[in-house]
Amino acid sequence: MRLPASSGEWIDRSKPVEFSFEGRTFKGYAGDTVSSALWGADVRVLGRSFKYHRPRGVLSLANHDTNALHQWGDQPNVRADVTPLVAGMTLTAVNTFGGLADDKGRFLGKMARFLPVGFYYKAFHTRKLFPMWERMFRTMTGLGSVDLASAQHTTPKAYDFCDVLVIGAGPSGLSAALAAAAQGADVVVVDENAHAGGSATYQIGNDTSRRRLLAELLAKVAADACIRVVTATYAAGYYKDHWIPLVSADRMLKMRAGSVVVASGAFEQPAVFRNNDLPGIMLASAAQRLMYRYGVKPVSKAVVLVANADGYRAALDLLAQGVSVAAVVDLRPAAGSAEPQAKLLRQAGIEILPGSCIVEALPGADGLCAGARIATLQADGSPSAQIRDIACDGILLSVGWAPAANLLYQAGTRMRFDRAVEQFVPEALPDGVFACGRVNGVHELERRLADGTRAGSHAAASVGFGRASGAALPPEAECPSHPWPIVDHPDGKNFVDFDEDLQFKDFRNAVQEGFDNIELLKRFSTNGMGPSQGKHSNMNGLRILARLTGKEPQQVGTTTARPFYHPVPMAILAGRGFNPERRTPLASRHDALGARWMPAGAWQRPEFYQVAGKERLACIREEVAAVRKGVGLIDVGTLGKLEVIGPQAAEFLERVYTSNYANLKVGMTRYAVMCDESGVVIDDGVVARLAEDHFYFTTTTSGAATVYRELSRLNTLWRLDCGIVNHTGAFAAMNLAGPKSREVLATLTGLDLSAAAFPYLALREGEVAVSGGKIPARLMRVGFVGEWGYEIHVPASMGGALWDALMTAGKAHAIRPFGVEAQRLLRLEKGHIIIGQDTDGLTTPLEVGMGWAVKMTKPFFIGQRSLAAIAKKPHKQQLAGITFPVGYSGAVPLECNLVIDGGDIAGRVTSIAFSPSLERYIGLAFLRPDLAAIGTTVSIRLTDGAMVQAEVSATPFYDPDNLKQKEAA
Amino acid sequence: MPWRLLRFALNKKHPEPRMFTHHEKLKSSYDVVIIGAGGHGLAAAYYLARDHGITNVCVLEKGYIGGGNTGRNTTIIRSNYLTPEGVKFYDESVKLWQDLSTEFDLNLFYANRGHFTLAHTDSALRTMRWRAEVNKHYGINSEVVGPEVVKEAAPMIDLSCAGHSPILGALYHAPGSVARHDAVAWGYGRGADQRGVEIHQQTEVLGIDVQGGKVKGVKTSRGYIATNKVLCAVAGSTPRILKMVDVKTPLYIHPLQAMVSEPVKPWLDPILVSGSLHVYISQSARGELVMGASLDPYELHGTRSTLDFVEGLSTHMLEMFPFLSKVKVMRQWAGMADMTPDFAPIMGMTPVEGFYLDSGWGTWGFKATPVCGKTMSHTLVNDTPHPLITGFSLDRFRNFALTGEKGAASVGH
Amino acid sequence: MKILTCPLNGPRPVSEFFYWGEVRPMPDPAAASDDEWADYVFNRNGAPGVKREWWCHTPSNTWFIAERDTEKDLVLKTYFYPGEE
Repeated sequence: MRLPASSGEWIDRSKPVEFSFEGRTFKGYAGDTVSSALWGADVRVLGRSFKYHRPRGVLSLANHDTNALHQWGDQPNVRADVTPLVAGMTLTAVNTFGGLADDKGRFLGKMARFLPVGFYYKAFHTRKLFPMWERMFRTMTGLGSVDLASAQHTTPKAYDFCDVLVIGAGPSGLSAALAAAAQGADVVVVDENAHAGGSATYQIGNDTSRRRLLAELLAKVAADACIRVVTATYAAGYYKDHWIPLVSADRMLKMRAGSVVVASGAFEQPAVFRNNDLPGIMLASAAQRLMYRYGVKPVSKAVVLVANADGYRAALDLLAQGVSVAAVVDLRPAAGSAEPQAKLLRQAGIEILPGSCIVEALPGADGLCAGARIATLQADGSPSAQIRDIACDGILLSVGWAPAANLLYQAGTRMRFDRAVEQFVPEALPDGVFACGRVNGVHELERRLADGTRAGSHAAASVGFGRASGAALPPEAECPSHPWPIVDHPDGKNFVDFDEDLQFKDFRNAVQEGFDNIELLKRFSTNGMGPSQGKHSNMNGLRILARLTGKEPQQVGTTTARPFYHPVPMAILAGRGFNPERRTPLASRHDALGARWMPAGAWQRPEFYQVAGKERLACIREEVAAVRKGVGLIDVGTLGKLEVIGPQAAEFLERVYTSNYANLKVGMTRYAVMCDESGVVIDDGVVARLAEDHFYFTTTTSGAATVYRELSRLNTLWRLDCGIVNHTGAFAAMNLAGPKSREVLATLTGLDLSAAAFPYLALREGEVAVSGGKIPARLMRVGFVGEWGYEIHVPASMGGALWDALMTAGKAHAIRPFGVEAQRLLRLEKGHIIIGQDTDGLTTPLEVGMGWAVKMTKPFFIGQRSLAAIAKKPHKQQLAGITFPVGYSGAVPLECNLVIDGGDIAGRVTSIAFSPSLERYIGLAFLRPDLAAIGTTVSIRLTDGAMVQAEVSATPFYDPDNLKQKEAA
Repeated sequence: MPWRLLRFALNKKHPEPRMFTHHEKLKSSYDVVIIGAGGHGLAAAYYLARDHGITNVCVLEKGYIGGGNTGRNTTIIRSNYLTPEGVKFYDESVKLWQDLSTEFDLNLFYANRGHFTLAHTDSALRTMRWRAEVNKHYGINSEVVGPEVVKEAAPMIDLSCAGHSPILGALYHAPGSVARHDAVAWGYGRGADQRGVEIHQQTEVLGIDVQGGKVKGVKTSRGYIATNKVLCAVAGSTPRILKMVDVKTPLYIHPLQAMVSEPVKPWLDPILVSGSLHVYISQSARGELVMGASLDPYELHGTRSTLDFVEGLSTHMLEMFPFLSKVKVMRQWAGMADMTPDFAPIMGMTPVEGFYLDSGWGTWGFKATPVCGKTMSHTLVNDTPHPLITGFSLDRFRNFALTGEKGAASVGH
Repeated sequence: MKILTCPLNGPRPVSEFFYWGEVRPMPDPAAASDDEWADYVFNRNGAPGVKREWWCHTPSNTWFIAERDTEKDLVLKTYFYPGEE
């Protein structure tokens, strides 16, 4: 039922909003949450509990009513208590079988005696039956459903900076903001609620001066240009160096703050008594929120259970809003500071029962709250046997608070339990983190304002604005929280954790079983592990454990608070994915030629070029044939391309590569192998000497970035007189290869391409003619694919022109672009290895036949000393060539099929392919050294288990004498 | 409803004794002191008592039972390793796992779900085949499957991964399982306790008394204990203990993070790992999605969480499963992983006589819990490494004889 | 996100940096025994403490040294190698 409109309410009664819940249509208002709209429409059961499927209503209205979770289309676990009402919403409660009203899961409540704490550890585990039980558990326990058909929801992310971030726009937070801004700081105040004001918007106590005070505070904040207030946004976590994700309905803003004021307040805590979960029983603050924010009558006739002055004020608020108050039950012997309020209540004819408790809530036939069973408390704190029932349709709980200290814990705050306020308070805060208000143990309104002013001033001063003023406040005059708001009951159902349906006895039993420290208790009982993450259960759980083990709360301690403060949707965390991909300057040419792309590290490379109507393998074989018989062109621009320049450039390369470079002649190139300190091959390439003090060298595609980075470090460490430049992206590179390559190139350059003038492994710098002029180029006669050829490097911007010129010039020889697959086969025919395919994370150059490139006699290279040690030991394996007979028609192994000898693994195939040139299958394989002799027959196990034989053969398979690099006689 | 639960309804008092005896005092000496009451330490204690009759054993724990990486890992159990020594070792573990619930009379929620390691590049696919072939050689059920099989097991997966890392295939390992991690420690702890082993929680090791190269005792926050044998099973805290005995190892510590979603109804049966995206996911019996990724990039002896981690992990998850957009992440956490250069553990004897090491568990230790207990108890008793762990000895580094597990472990869970 | 101060570029988020590891002086390869060499190559000072570490600010490829408490993740100072001797 709605109350008459009042000033300050958050709903807009001129804007009705229609929605449906469990198949029925309801009307709420703009500004409502789902729960407030349903409660306003007199719906009392908003969801079913997790374990026993008990009906549940409003508890906190503060983002931990995790029994009121709804499915909204593809959105699971919508929190009804805080989710703004949207027109057309279609909602169902998540944890039901067959609907909320007729939930077939209700029987579980009757089974409770069979299902003690941790019952699932104690049965269901026969090996045969467990899969069946597990399926059942999984069906029972999941809350909402994901819609497998729903599309990805992408949200942007934002970034911002501020001097002081204030978390919480209640009285203390607003005061802190004003104080920090007054000292000149740029302040952002963030609050998860739709409007600022915090508890001051609803904890009124029918006292107009309180409303006025808030209005003045808000007006001052609004008028301050240095303060930005961000509402409907929560600080989801605290991360190192004041990095705070501020999460709203549709995005995450990552805030880098200079300092942080945590003014996050406190969670009101439930009292524990039998049936304390019946719909109609709620925290007093929830009732106040319903009334003042949403104009909803929380109940018709209330019993108010109190242990602080907040409760008396709540009772006055109820009266002011026309709710009849059947009684105020005070756990304490007297009203204390609330005596003036108590007096007002008495004057209104309301009975106040000090020194009493509620032992049990009485359900009506409809399962809703219908009464409270009251008993006086005896000297030992337990209820007396004399009981009295008071009829009511709601019980409001105002027995104490737990600090919303999650962010403080995450920031590394040391907390101590302060018996003066019966809560944890900060003892040692990290640098730049401040706390004020309830989270700091300061509860009384005027004091919260003062505490906020202090914290704001200190926070501003800590980042260089003004001087810190104000000292910590003296202790609270009256304890705001009862030390034991808990009543045991032989019949149980006195819930401590509403998420997980944990009762008092569950704790007792868990402790009895030895789970008697806070972390073990949590893990065994699951207290605080549900969606609310202990916001209403951790404090009472701690009290119970302390009492059961005879310890002080301080000794019991708390469990670790981890992000998130409230759960965050994955879409918000993910934002817009960013997957950068590198392409060479020739990418558009490849596309035009039908390239099929494949990833190579951060790059995309043509795997092969699709010729219309032809199979992949046919295309690749044609590319291979073109290189072997005519001419082909491959983009090798993804190779790392580095230069080292300076008097000690040669010395540098001597140290980082295994071979000799000091004696490399200017204008010549040499193969280069790089090892790590343990002697494992990590990269290879070609080093070219441009001048005495100037080298140009390549690395593998995937190794480019890491090699450059590590070489830079080594140069920093060694401080040699040379510098390294990374030209990887600055140069385009292509390899023109094949018997006709020289003829093609000759049409474009004036360089003398004779074998004498430009021999194998030489480098020449010269010009190449392209459409529109000549471009400078570095040309290297290298033979990775085993044919006469030129690797040509030009500035990236000219790569396209060069490619076009070569393709045009090559037309006469039917030039073909070729891709990575053809190159893989061509190099295999030459017996050249690919790092990472024919080597693995432990391969030394000695095992892959590269001993010739490893100069153990030079003074030093990285890995040398390890290789010297390794060389003394027998090799474990040796890379060798393998071949299948010409005409072999049997099944062929795949790469990584195993070599088997005597029933043991004796190696594996690393590369294998059909060689058109040799008309047989050829490959490389790691073999146990005793099998590696040429001519040995080795057995290879195919994927299906069949065995095939191959013969160990010499490499290179193709052109073993390297005649292709020599001019025909 | 199983009959076993009947006793709870029929008894007025909760009919369950303590799982772990509370011991007021430490004894002055024990035959064996085990440092660390995680799964590994408790398993070693359990098998020492059960298989070798050695019960004068004390397990020291500075925090609480199972509170370290045992309670922080993402509970994946598999044996599809790359090296023969790894495959044989983890296979033995999987075999032990399967009967643990019955043996303990405690439901560990050991759930056989099947495990896919997705390959997004042809080189990844080659490594998958290598693993499959080695696995099959040792009789382990692993095979390379095409994307269509992945699609069948997880029909809602986006095989193109948002178009930029298409799934080319996967290593499918049928025995892949998950279990309830805490319960494993409790089961071993209870079993050891019942056989006379003492578990001392909130007891910190402050020093190890080594004389003449031999272990003589342990200094703890609750007094000195004489002993000739100490087993160190403390994962991320191993280097602190090693400092006390002056043993040098390659171990280094990086945090490993994970996150969990709110519970949702079951939609994912298998465990999925993507090496290229560096993420993995499974759905727990409670309906929570348990998700993880690779190690943090730098050394840290702490368990703080980072925002980058959840951001990156969520991004990649949505690439595979775009429909998870609105599922909320509830909690993130971290553990300290004790890494080795070759991604294989360091187990067995050390240069200090009587000091035994069960370490190097990096990101892969949970699944090894049973076999570690078995092999380490054997090693302690016989003073010679169990045959299954000879390949994991500390001196492999001195001999430049590393294991080759790293090749397969872009995400090593 | 943690902030690290590059000696060249000033404070930057840690995601811009590459961590290499502790600065480890290399023994003379000619003088070291195989065991001593293996110790250098593989063994690490794994225990927590203040360590001198190599870090690289990757966008600018700037290598420098950070003195960092590896337990508290607190960077005490950063400077160019080799720093003040």
